Amino acid sequence: MEEKEIHSDVLVIGAGLAGIEASLLLSSSDRKVHLVEKTSYTGGTVIKFEEVFSNMECSTCMVSPRQQELLQDKNINLLTLSEVEEVKGSLGNFTVKINKKARYVDLQNCIGCNACFEPCPVSLKNEFEEGLSERKAIYTPCAGALPNVPMIDTEHCLRFNGKECTACQEACMFEAIDFNQKDEQLKLNVEAIIAATGFTLFDSKQIPKYGYGKIDDVYSAFEFERLYASNGPTEGKLRLKNGKTPKSAAIIHCVGRDQKGYCSSVCCLYSLKFNHYLKSKIPEMEIDEFYTDLCIPGKSHQKFYEKMKETGTNLIRFQDINVDKQGEGITVTYTNGGKKSSRTVDMVILSPAIEPRADSSKLAKILGISHDDYGFFKEEDPDVSSVTTSKPGVFIAGCAQGPKNIQDSVSQASAAVGKILSQSGDK
Amino acid sequence: MERKIGVYICECGPNISEKIDIDKVIDAVSLPEDVAVVKRYKLLCSVDGKKFLEDEIKKQGLTHLVIAACSPKQHEKTFMEVCENAGINPYLYQLANIREQCAWVTDDKDEATKKAIRLVKAAIRRVRYHFPLEKKEIACNPDVLVIGGGVAGLEASLQLASSDRRVYLVEKTSSLGGMVDNFEKTFPNMQPGSNLIKQKILDVNKNENIKVFTDSIVEELLGFFGSFEVKVKAKEQDAFVEFDVGAVVLATGSSFFDPKQTPQYGYGTLDNVFTAIEFEKMNKSGKISLKNGKTPKNVAIVHCVGRNEKGYCSQICCMYSLKFARYLKEKIPDVNVFHFYSDMCIPGKSQQKFYDQTKGKHINFIRSSNIEVTKKGDNVQINYSDEDGKANNLPANMVILSPAITPTSDSSQLAELAGISQDDSGFFAEEHEKLNPISTSTEGIYIVGSAQGPKDIPDTLIQAEAATGKILSSLVPGRKIEPEVKVAHISESFCIGCKNCMSVCSYGTITFDEEKKVCVVNEVICRGCGNCVAACPSGAATLKHFTFKQLYQEILEAV
Amino acid sequence: MTEETEDFEPRIVGFLCNWCSYAGADLAGNSKLPVSPSLTTIRVMCSSRVDPVLVETAFLHGADGVLIAGCHPGDCHYDEGNYYARRRFTVLEKVIEGLGLESDRLQLSWISASEGQRFADVVNEFDKKIRKMGPNPLREKKSL
Repeated sequence: MEEKEIHSDVLVIGAGLAGIEASLLLSSSDRKVHLVEKTSYTGGTVIKFEEVFSNMECSTCMVSPRQQELLQDKNINLLTLSEVEEVKGSLGNFTVKINKKARYVDLQNCIGCNACFEPCPVSLKNEFEEGLSERKAIYTPCAGALPNVPMIDTEHCLRFNGKECTACQEACMFEAIDFNQKDEQLKLNVEAIIAATGFTLFDSKQIPKYGYGKIDDVYSAFEFERLYASNGPTEGKLRLKNGKTPKSAAIIHCVGRDQKGYCSSVCCLYSLKFNHYLKSKIPEMEIDEFYTDLCIPGKSHQKFYEKMKETGTNLIRFQDINVDKQGEGITVTYTNGGKKSSRTVDMVILSPAIEPRADSSKLAKILGISHDDYGFFKEEDPDVSSVTTSKPGVFIAGCAQGPKNIQDSVSQASAAVGKILSQSGDK
Repeated sequence: MERKIGVYICECGPNISEKIDIDKVIDAVSLPEDVAVVKRYKLLCSVDGKKFLEDEIKKQGLTHLVIAACSPKQHEKTFMEVCENAGINPYLYQLANIREQCAWVTDDKDEATKKAIRLVKAAIRRVRYHFPLEKKEIACNPDVLVIGGGVAGLEASLQLASSDRRVYLVEKTSSLGGMVDNFEKTFPNMQPGSNLIKQKILDVNKNENIKVFTDSIVEELLGFFGSFEVKVKAKEQDAFVEFDVGAVVLATGSSFFDPKQTPQYGYGTLDNVFTAIEFEKMNKSGKISLKNGKTPKNVAIVHCVGRNEKGYCSQICCMYSLKFARYLKEKIPDVNVFHFYSDMCIPGKSQQKFYDQTKGKHINFIRSSNIEVTKKGDNVQINYSDEDGKANNLPANMVILSPAITPTSDSSQLAELAGISQDDSGFFAEEHEKLNPISTSTEGIYIVGSAQGPKDIPDTLIQAEAATGKILSSLVPGRKIEPEVKVAHISESFCIGCKNCMSVCSYGTITFDEEKKVCVVNEVICRGCGNCVAACPSGAATLKHFTFKQLYQEILEAV
Repeated sequence: MTEETEDFEPRIVGFLCNWCSYAGADLAGNSKLPVSPSLTTIRVMCSSRVDPVLVETAFLHGADGVLIAGCHPGDCHYDEGNYYARRRFTVLEKVIEGLGLESDRLQLSWISASEGQRFADVVNEFDKKIRKMGPNPLREKKSL
């Protein structure tokens, strides 16, 4: 009879906060972790934020010690620019095929001096910065990104499009740039898998009445986060597109809620955080928070809301809302209790719903798990555990399972680890 | 043994070599007698570089190492490993940051060179005062104490227990099951509450690795992570049961705001005004009826009772209020239900569907404020201000109040027992709101479920499982705990027993020895911040690897 | 009042906490922002480690300025250490006045790990301020 091989390594998909928590916890239990991350950097979505609610703590200060720990942990095999292509097998013995894209920069040799950026002749919009600033074809997404090693965007790099160009390689004194690197196909054997692939935001362009993409100075949440960030495209200076300092703003909650059919749990709170952001840079700014139902559950969040109220912000409940450009400013027209009113502001910030990533259903298929009606990974039974799926050995954690705040994402990651260690007899 | 310091300056390609005159630095720092060698190297963190250093240390018989290169945040650990491999204690080395904080920020080469000289000299001065520090290993007890036999405690116990890890589950009432046992159904799937509990209780009682104490409380909890001493006392008995554990999970649940504190709702004064838990129990008994035995026709459910008083949203009340509407409709199909609410709080992917499906004929939602329940004949009347602020009223037979979730009445005692803090609302305080929501500042003590803050059952189960993850990965049977090395230490001879250090320590690391009348640092749980050192008036407290003498040496060069 | 002298090169001692301000200083470096070389950094794990005696020692040995930098209130890696640093700072201001120094020679700044520009600004402005104040009247020269 063939003996079934049992492996003890674990595959974690996604190096955001949930993935980092799971990896570090597994490592401290002496498990080997393969951490697969699609982008070139760790930290996920949270590193876009300057601060997090409700204690308004600096996001980098909070996350970077963990990222450093992760990068220096011998048990954790971090595979950036990698994606899971195939999963076969079952609990205790999964065989996973990973496609690891070439970075074209050697992770060992590169010391992160950024000397290769300047000479690169190609400039294009930086996706991490939500298109608000530019990057080169060889780039890191932002200052402070970890690992602090750039990647080459072969889609736009001249050399990879048939042109002769070695500008970056010539500028590098450490022989870190290697155009001959190839994509790799890796095969791993693991005991269990944790999918913690995070989320994206509803695209407000789908609702034309918000004016997003048409009207200048209507920003989506991530764009505003980058504008405010001290390592962002404006180094944290809040300016309108015409260069002037905004004097008033409208923050609109629940963008896409009706379309998605659920409350995303964190938008009211991050909208209040935006109020803090604005007031801290421009104290005399007039701010209107447009909301439908104020959703601020949790023992510390009401205090956060009270503090926001003290800043003099107007809280305006609405049933229907419209954003138009009229002359100099932006007009927000809204109805409340049948009455129609309007406010004119310099800028509008939209707080959109959290939704699964576009490639979630593809990954669900690969993992052999299902997704719910909204596209999030489906838990087997929330009354039993929200991290186990219908496939034993495959766990889900964080916003990939459903919209939630950081502490619940981190708890789910720890819970998934608990399940793995507990069921494999690591008791 | 004669001290021999080796100083190695990394060129870091052009990053350092072009911004700093390295040869000048070499000349400037070579003078002292104990500096045995000063060399430059292309890239010290490379494989060749590390080999070079190892060979140098052995060849030159170096006792101490100074590296001038990038930030310690980049490569402090790298060169510590080099030291270990070469046979010198990894703490007899200092890394001078002449890249991020010198070469990269100073345009003028002269200035950069002068600064680099200062930084390297400071490192040399400092390293003379370094002590070899050894990694400690502490044997730990892998067993766990779980306090509270509700859904969280049951879940944690089942996940943790195994043949080499005992779980002691202590429950203060006579039966396991906790709050959930009262619920006929749970949202959002409307499955029987007993489903969640019955099987878990059976499994716990069957499990020979879980020892259950009902009608018992924890009288005493001493010690620290890996080594707690527990005393449990049963209600009817005088004797204690004593045992040791390595970690503790507090799963003691929560209570409800008492609506008697808000007389405007008529609770306790008017008939047929019930609290949520009273209604749950009534519903579970099978019949929903008024005090006079009749079936209610119009039921008002008032949300947010006590919210203003407590100052937070309890997260689950809107959902369980919707659940109540469903209970009512199931048992009394033509009943009229009126929800009086201010904001509908239904976060999460499943919650809105539950709300949408609950809305329908005869379930009404009235956004309102200033609610007052008054007597109207044999029934009651809900007086309220509607959305526009206009006064209005609605007659009802029965009122169900959805009160805020509060800490239990014994949470202060429990917090004191465990040596953890409570937040402003009285719930147990987590170590870090975002990244460590179930740990506390006392290592080894975890808080889960509604004892940590109001939450629903799925989130409670997750926290119980998360505690499992934390404990299973840190308290491994047979494996030793390796605590932080750069910890505080208090000299017995210099300590004057003023306890200043104790008052500034956030982690309860320092205790007072009553016999010797001095303060003592528990090096197993010290985090190494050094606050106690700054607070000590007699200089008895030091922080290993950041002693006064070491920092003084750096100051001497900085000025 | 001392006048700004051409050949006065200030010596400023900076106590930077490992988790926030030291990382912010590194980020200034990564971003190649110019930072006045008059500041020499001494790394501590927490701003609460900064013993008043260390600060007094620095001034007594001739430091023209002392900067203590820690995490923003609420962000301290060790929970509340920076609050203690803040308390000690207010007492220290009085102490160094007693030593015959202007209290402005001591500064406490909150700098987070993402605030590379802020670190550079804080140090450069402090350097300017110290230059205006002139050398530490207690300055003694010490040699290795």
